[in-house]
Amino acid sequence: MSEILNLYVNGTKMQAIAKPESTLLEVLRDELHLVSPKCGCNHGDCGACTVILDGKAVKSCTVLALTAEGKKVVTVEGLSNGSELHPVQQAFIKYGAPQCGYCTPGMVMATVAFLLDNPTPKEEEIKDALSGNLCRCGGYKEYVKAVSAVVSGEFGRLPEGSEINA
Amino acid sequence: MRKYKFEAPQSFEELFEIMHRANFEKDEIKFVAGGTDFVPRLNFELNMIPSEQKQPLQIMYLGCLGIDSIIEKDGIISIGACCKLNDIMKNPVICEKLPVLVETISQMAGLTIRNTGTIGGNIMNASPANDSIPTFIVLDANFILKSEKKERTVKASEFFTGPGKTVAKPDEVLTRIEINLKKGHASFKKLGRRQAETLSVVNAAAYVEQENSVCKTVRVAVGSVGPTVIRCERVEVALRGKKLTEDVIKTASLKVLNEINPIDDLRASAWYRNKTAPVMVSRAIKAAAGIRGE
Repeated sequence: MSEILNLYVNGTKMQAIAKPESTLLEVLRDELHLVSPKCGCNHGDCGACTVILDGKAVKSCTVLALTAEGKKVVTVEGLSNGSELHPVQQAFIKYGAPQCGYCTPGMVMATVAFLLDNPTPKEEEIKDALSGNLCRCGGYKEYVKAVSAVVSGEFGRLPEGSEINA
Repeated sequence: MRKYKFEAPQSFEELFEIMHRANFEKDEIKFVAGGTDFVPRLNFELNMIPSEQKQPLQIMYLGCLGIDSIIEKDGIISIGACCKLNDIMKNPVICEKLPVLVETISQMAGLTIRNTGTIGGNIMNASPANDSIPTFIVLDANFILKSEKKERTVKASEFFTGPGKTVAKPDEVLTRIEINLKKGHASFKKLGRRQAETLSVVNAAAYVEQENSVCKTVRVAVGSVGPTVIRCERVEVALRGKKLTEDVIKTASLKVLNEINPIDDLRASAWYRNKTAPVMVSRAIKAAAGIRGE
């Protein structure tokens, strides 16, 4: 038996049909057609499905959809401000962080949530925060460089949580 | 297809009412808090295992019961079972009074999993490789189980009976963990194949209380080397009443080999676990005793 799930996705109230066994990732991709979260391992290991749920980065393949009732979800689709990309997106492009690009949406969301919580991290903290996101192209160094550049202010002021959810 | 049902009771009354209605003969009930272990297993089951014959599964989500606060009262810290791992790590009371729990949780999984996973779910999984259980055992923590009729308290060291098995009955829910604050120091050490997002190859926790440089109270527990996390009483006996020098700790730590029974698995061989368990135990004791090095 399916149920109606109410979510605030990228600032918009949305409804979706969710089965008891559906994950948040499945609902976002298959019901709401938001395809930035990727289904990599479907096992909570690779982080390609990372989204921001009520302000915290989570692996959406490990979240039962119905447990997210009434919560706020942000995906890459909700990050840019009109045509202007989020500083993290700009940095990833400039520093050539994405290679095949499959892990990138998860890396973007994990980074954005992490910087909301800790805007001035050290390099070790950045590595620790992104340790749950695997990149099989092995481009980890570029990701860390890009995040460090965001932290240094190269891409301007970081939007606050309320601005991202708007 | 196997049939699934989902319930998210808002109160214990509602929870037990649903339990009453559920048909225990026909339905399998699974309590779920964070789901970081349950959901991947479910994904695997949905994709890989033919499920026609299986009985329906009632998913009982405990996240709306309001058991997610951390309270300190009369020297006892009470942690709600549905507290998210990251929230415990950041809690000011835990940071000040129980730094060992911060040390422990910071080595569990990674940031994004800790945002979803709960401490109660972690305990009730009863994994032999669990990272929080050794710490709870050496802190002499109590687990509070609630059923419709009564509430009971079980010591962490007596809670686990095998891989995935605990003394909790099918109608009992873990509601909170209670830790009596004492004056000694505790420490947790983990050995894994990488720093984050990995299960322990061996882990160890120790609690030490000293008086006039002599070890008065000591508790040691080691994980991932047997069917449950193991309390190492022989190691403790070898330390009690002694001055904790490097040599004493080294000799005592070797006694862990009489307590453990590791297996070969995809993470490490039994041989390697036997080699590393005394080292991890020794490191945990040293750190708890305030001895520098390693």
